[in-house]
Formats: sequence, C-alpha cells, structure tokens
Amino acid sequence: MGTTIRTALAVLVATAIVAVLAQDQLPRGETIVDKYIEVTGGKAAYEKIRSEVVTGSMTFPAMGIKGTLTVYHAEPALMVSEINIEGIGKIQEGTDGTVAWSLSAMQGGRLKDGEEKAEALREAAMHSDINWRDYFTKAETIGVENVDGKACYKVVLTPKEGSPQTRFYDKETNLLLKSTRKLKTPMGEIEAESAAADYRYNVTIPREKFDLPEEIKALIAKGTL
Amino acid sequence: MGYSDRMLARLFITFVLLGATLFGRPQTAVAPAQPAFAAHAVGAQPRRGLAVARSNVSASAGGPQALTPAQRQANIDSFEHVWQTVRDKHWDPKLGGLDWQAIHDELRPRVERATTMADARAPMSEMLARLKQTHFGIVPAAVYRELESPGSVDGSPGIDVRVIDGRALVISVDADSPAAARGVRAGWQIVRVDGADVESRLAAIRKQFADSTLIDLVQSRSISSRLTGPTGKPVKVEFLDGSDKPVALDIDRARPRGTLARLGNLPPLYFWVENRTLSQDVGYVRFNAFFEPDALIRAVQDQVKACAGCKGFIIDLRGNPGGIGGLSMGVAGWFVDRSGQQLGTMYLRDTKISFVIFPRPEPFRGPLAILVDGCSASTSEIFAGGLKALGRARLIGTRTAGAALPSVFERLPNGDGFQYAIANYIAADGRPLEGLGATPDEEVRLTRRALLDGRDPVVEAAVEWIQKQGRQ
Repeated sequence: MGTTIRTALAVLVATAIVAVLAQDQLPRGETIVDKYIEVTGGKAAYEKIRSEVVTGSMTFPAMGIKGTLTVYHAEPALMVSEINIEGIGKIQEGTDGTVAWSLSAMQGGRLKDGEEKAEALREAAMHSDINWRDYFTKAETIGVENVDGKACYKVVLTPKEGSPQTRFYDKETNLLLKSTRKLKTPMGEIEAESAAADYRYNVTIPREKFDLPEEIKALIAKGTL
Repeated sequence: MGYSDRMLARLFITFVLLGATLFGRPQTAVAPAQPAFAAHAVGAQPRRGLAVARSNVSASAGGPQALTPAQRQANIDSFEHVWQTVRDKHWDPKLGGLDWQAIHDELRPRVERATTMADARAPMSEMLARLKQTHFGIVPAAVYRELESPGSVDGSPGIDVRVIDGRALVISVDADSPAAARGVRAGWQIVRVDGADVESRLAAIRKQFADSTLIDLVQSRSISSRLTGPTGKPVKVEFLDGSDKPVALDIDRARPRGTLARLGNLPPLYFWVENRTLSQDVGYVRFNAFFEPDALIRAVQDQVKACAGCKGFIIDLRGNPGGIGGLSMGVAGWFVDRSGQQLGTMYLRDTKISFVIFPRPEPFRGPLAILVDGCSASTSEIFAGGLKALGRARLIGTRTAGAALPSVFERLPNGDGFQYAIANYIAADGRPLEGLGATPDEEVRLTRRALLDGRDPVVEAAVEWIQKQGRQ
C-alpha cells in the first residue's frame, strides 16, 4: 500500500476573533482554497498520496482528561478514526466507502445515515481537498479574522449535502489554520472548531485496519440504522 | 482538517457525556451547606442547598495549621474560579434569579479572612448551596490522595448501610471483608460509630430533609462516611444484633471491594460489577457505578449472551450513585431493539444533547426489571427513568434520589475538587428527574426481618413479576 503519509498534530485551541475587512477587498474563496493546495505541495503531490495517518493528542485540562487521536485514511475512501481516552477506552468511527459507522463501549455500535453518512463519505474520499468542487457547491470569502494573532481569510464552503464549513486561511502563508462547522449527529447538532499546527510525513497502514468491526457487521446483517 | 472537525464534535459529545452524572461518591457524605436552608422552593418541592463533602477527611484536609500566603491566594483564586464558572456555565444564565454578584461580595471576605482550609472551603460550599441544586460541591483535596495511596482515604470495614424504618441497618457485608471476618450480619442495627450516636444524627437529617427525595441517600452516606477511613485505623462500631443484643466491635478498614477507577478529575472510586443467572432462570447484573466502560459493558454483554433464553433480566441499581452519563446509553443498548429511542435530553446553556439508545446487534428482548432505591442517583436515574418512560422496564424498589444533573469535576487552584452541573436533564416522558426522582412501578422495601432471614424482598418481587410475564 502506498506510504506517503501526512501526519497532522491537531492542537485543539480556542481562538480570538477580531477584525473584518470589507467584502469587496477580499480575494475569491475558490482562489484561496486552490492556493492552499499549491502552498501545501500542489495538486500533483497530493495525487501521489495514497494513504495518510493523522495523529494527535488532546487534553481537557479543566477536566483532567487526556487522550490520543489517530485517523487512518487510504484510497479510495477508507477511513478509521480512533480516540483513546484514559478511563473510557476506545471510541472509533469509520467507513469503507459504503458503510459509515461508529463504535464505543459507551454507546455501542451504530450505522450512520443521511447527512451524517454523506459527510463521513466525503471526508473519507482521498482527494477531496484537491477535488473540492466535486463536493462543495461554492466557496465564499466573507471576511478577515485573527486566529492566534494571525490575520486569516474566512472562507465558507457549502457542501452538496450537509452543513457549511468555515475555514480560516492565513493571509500571509495561505495555510489553513482553523476550521469550524456544525455537525449533525443523532444526539444533537454540535459546533466544532479545530486548528492545525504542524504537518509531518510517513507511516504504513495495514489493510485490515479498515475492516468493519464485528459488531458493525452484525448491525449490517440485522439491517439496523 | 475535515475529520478533525468531526473528531472534535465527537469529543465534545464525549466530553459532555463523560460529565454527566455521578452524585458524589459512595463513601462521601452529602453535607447540607450552612446556612443554606432558607425556605425557598425550586421546582416541585423545597430543595436544600447541598454540598458534597467528606466528613472524615474534610476536617484534616489541609490541616488546621495556619495558611501560608500562597495558600490564602490559592483559596481566593479558587473562590473566584467557582463563582465565575457558575456565572458563565450554569445552564440557566439567570441562575434562578439569584443576585450572583451580591453573593460573591458577601462571601469573598470570608475566604480572605480564612485561617484554615476548612474555613476557606466553607464559603465556597455555601455559595454553591445557594443554587439549591444537586451536583454542585467542593471535594476536599485529601480525597484525591486515594489515587497515590489506595486505602489511605477510602478504607472500609465492608458494610453497606441503609436507613430502614428509622434504623441504620447493615444491608450487606462484603465477602472477605473485615466486617465479615468479625461476624457482622445483614440486618444488624448500627447504634454508634466511634462513639458518635447514629440516631441523633439521623433525626437531624430527617428534620432537615423531610420533604426531599434525597433523604435516604443523605442518611445512608452520613453513616457510610463515618465507617470509611484510612486502612490500618479500625473503626469502633456498636451494633444491635438480630436478637437486639448489643455487640461492640473494633473493625479493621481495608481497601474497598473492586478496582480503583479514575476518570480525569472525578474523585476516584472503587468499581465492581457482578453478573450471574439466578436459579429461576433470570439474568442478573449489579454494579456499584457507571464506570470502567469496557469492564461494565463486557459484564452486561456476557450476561445477555448467557441469558438469551432466560425468562427475564434484572439490573440492580440500588445504591448506585451514577457515574459516566453516556454509559446509560451503552447499557440500554443491550435491552432495546428499536432504533430512534432516547432516554432523555440534557439541556446545556447553548445546546442540547439527546441520550440516544443504539440497539446492540442481539439485545435481550424479554421482561426487564430494574431495582432502585433512594441511593440510586444520577446516571442510575437517567437509565432507570428513561427505560421506564419508554415502557421497556419495570422499576421495583423505592423512589430514586432525584439527583440527576449532568456535571463535571475540575481541580481548583487550592487543590480541591469542584463539581458543577452543566445541564438540566429531562427524561423521555418530559419530566425532570432532579428533585423528583424515578418512581417505581412497584414499591418494595427492605425490612429488617427479611435481611436477618437472608432474604431480599426486592429481588424476590422482580423474579415474581418476571415469572408472571412468562405465564401471560
């Protein structure tokens, strides 16, 4: 299996939001999104990526809770993510490109459907970043805001199915510094915000990593949603 | 970056569900914060200010010695943190109409003047008590010592206690415990603990909590917290045995039953789970807290699989103070076969989270009885009340504690723990559990006679009901 891997350390931070520029002074959203592909290696380099692993650590300092996060991602649309939290255990989500699922001791297993499934499949598509026009109907720049003291273009991407995402691209480097959106889950609609701070490379993913867990296979056999 | 959004959303839900609902610890006294017993009514009945405290460690936590300037500042910082957190995170921005700033200005000088940790802690507890809601409290730092040195705080003689018909009774004795070694039996009455009269304490609680759903839990814990203490330091307990003959015993304290479990800043507690098939072909699972997800779910799963053809199933939540709120869904998934159902909804200040049940591939579909009592709290109530509202379970026993606000624990700058509720909780039938509790379909009480005879009338009632279902 291909071995070019991008590992992003996600740093989960709250950020201050400050300034806004007039709409007519702003570059077009699609220009910014395309430029992001260029500054992070270009379309050709992205197309060489066959798989990736994203690792991160997380802390809720106030709660004293720590955990790790790993996302395994491979062509064409395979993805498994694992959160391990001390005292809780493993919380998994994944898709084999057809079935989207989640599994944890706390909630058990379930199959996703509707908008939630569409989002999971879109995120699992290996080259959705460079082929973003296949998944989003438009990208609009709506202002400039500070993220950790850096002025960022605020770009709203509207997907063909699902809720809009707001991305914050550094005005100087055009790197993506933050992303926010509302996610619909059976348990409620959640506002999520994430920030990226570092990018690294190289790991191999065993193919069986993307096999459906037994409990999920049982749910499929039962026809449960 | 897309999946980090998703993972964060997932984490947020997880975070909120982790919060949920542990009402103190089984070894923890629920202390009325003074002078919080103003005659206010919140909700359906008068609610008293409550603080979670440990009577057996709070006196020594931090020691009676004078505070250093750094400790004084840490206490002031802690007070400010508690005050601001409630102001900013309570699900009701109006805090029930309280003048929160005035309360701050009234109580802060007491923290500034405090000369001991206990003195500094008191106004913080009192501030929280003004909210007149459960799941707000200060946990003395000493409680966390149990993590570094198991048994140093939570040593136990191995006795479980309930107050029945006004008497503090031993309802069970842990096998292989110091109490078992000394011959203590279920049904014995506890008269004095370390020389302190039990009845006068219970009478005071009865007076203060006469109208509260919390009375059973507060009474039980007032005794349990006296029995608990450092291992190696025996507790002197004076009983009346089954013939009402006085028996005085010095009983060692040992590490409690179970494994020491921890989750973030939640005070550590010992977790155990037991599962078996009763002789009447009924599955039975009992656990002392909604903790240790892997172990708990494995035990439930094993029993459900072993019991596929059983006549019924019993989940015994008596004495269970709750724990990780999200686990209520995970356990419920083994007993619900239809998707789209939920136990209830928690309402935070800015959003709401539904406690959705995701059916397991092969859940137990037969009659389900859930045993509850006045010491079943929080997640136990969410689970029991939710499945009752869905018509999936029959509740047998006595009314639950009515303490079901999802909460989280933080550590304060002075080292104490700080529990605060982050949401209100409404069960599937649209009723709040806080202050009301989950009411049993069939009220069955333990009796001293039954305990002395080695019987459990609540389990017997559940088995009888299950057997009737099979005949219908």
